[in-house]
Amino acid sequence: MDMTDKDLSQTEDRMLEALFAEARSARVADPSEALMQAILGDAAEALEASRPVPVAAARPGFLAGLWAALGGVAGVSGLATAAAVGVWFGVAPPAGLDGLSTAIWGESVSVSIFSADDILGLEG
Amino acid sequence: MTLAARLPETNSPDAAPDGALLVAFANGDMGAARVLAARLTPRVLGQATRMLGGDRAEAEDVAQDAMMRLWKIAPDWRQGEAQVTTWLYRVVANLCTDRLRRRRRTVDFDAVAEPEDGRPGPAEQMQEGARMTALRDALAALPDRQAQAVALRHLEGLSNPEIAEVMEISVEAVESLTARGKRALAALLAGRKDELGYGHD
Repeated sequence: MDMTDKDLSQTEDRMLEALFAEARSARVADPSEALMQAILGDAAEALEASRPVPVAAARPGFLAGLWAALGGVAGVSGLATAAAVGVWFGVAPPAGLDGLSTAIWGESVSVSIFSADDILGLEG
Repeated sequence: MTLAARLPETNSPDAAPDGALLVAFANGDMGAARVLAARLTPRVLGQATRMLGGDRAEAEDVAQDAMMRLWKIAPDWRQGEAQVTTWLYRVVANLCTDRLRRRRRTVDFDAVAEPEDGRPGPAEQMQEGARMTALRDALAALPDRQAQAVALRHLEGLSNPEIAEVMEISVEAVESLTARGKRALAALLAGRKDELGYGHD
């Protein structure tokens, strides 16, 4: 044994060694079927608990409700087109619209953010 | 230094390292849990049984508890940082000293180690049972860290560097704990040599 045993008498050391040897060699029966089942049941439970709640199974949230209210893909694609056209008119109003918008909204001052006035080539 | 057995490299889950199986389990693979449970439960149960003096019911509780903790840390397990077996040695040692401490509070060491009745029985078996009970009660009377170091060294047969890894302390600290633990055990059992079958010779 190691040097740390020098404080023990030979008899004490022999007694302890015999006790340890007996404990080491004692046969431990295999885990019972019930124990294995319980352990695997715990594993399944732990797995279930750690799994994030899938998005599809969640109750519809605010965005999903809004999406449905706007008519889903069909509705929103129309909305997107309308918004794009609005942006288009804002950037480069067609000639015919100029007078109309002035008549409706009053005089407006346009400040071009582009170097050329006719960047989109709409005016011939 | 690793405590894991060297395993042949094949694609079979039976040959996969513990850490890889644990990660597979965390990702939802119950088959990996079955392989791990079959591989690890016998050793966890063995360690608990030896530390608890052969109390089977209590050892099974500890084994189930230790495996439950393993399942729960699976999502956070980082492969390569630690061996699953090292981690389990630590968990089982801690769970066992928790139980031994409770036992120490509720029962008197001298009373428990006495054979419980005087009826004749298979003499050898009774004495073996009594010796294991006496060893457990003596371990229960030690400070936790001493009891753990002595049990890992002398009941599990781990080397001092392995125990240092399990207990997260230095090898010198392990040597000191096992030396003090053995002296304390010898003192606790000194008066019982004859009774335990280790009389003068």
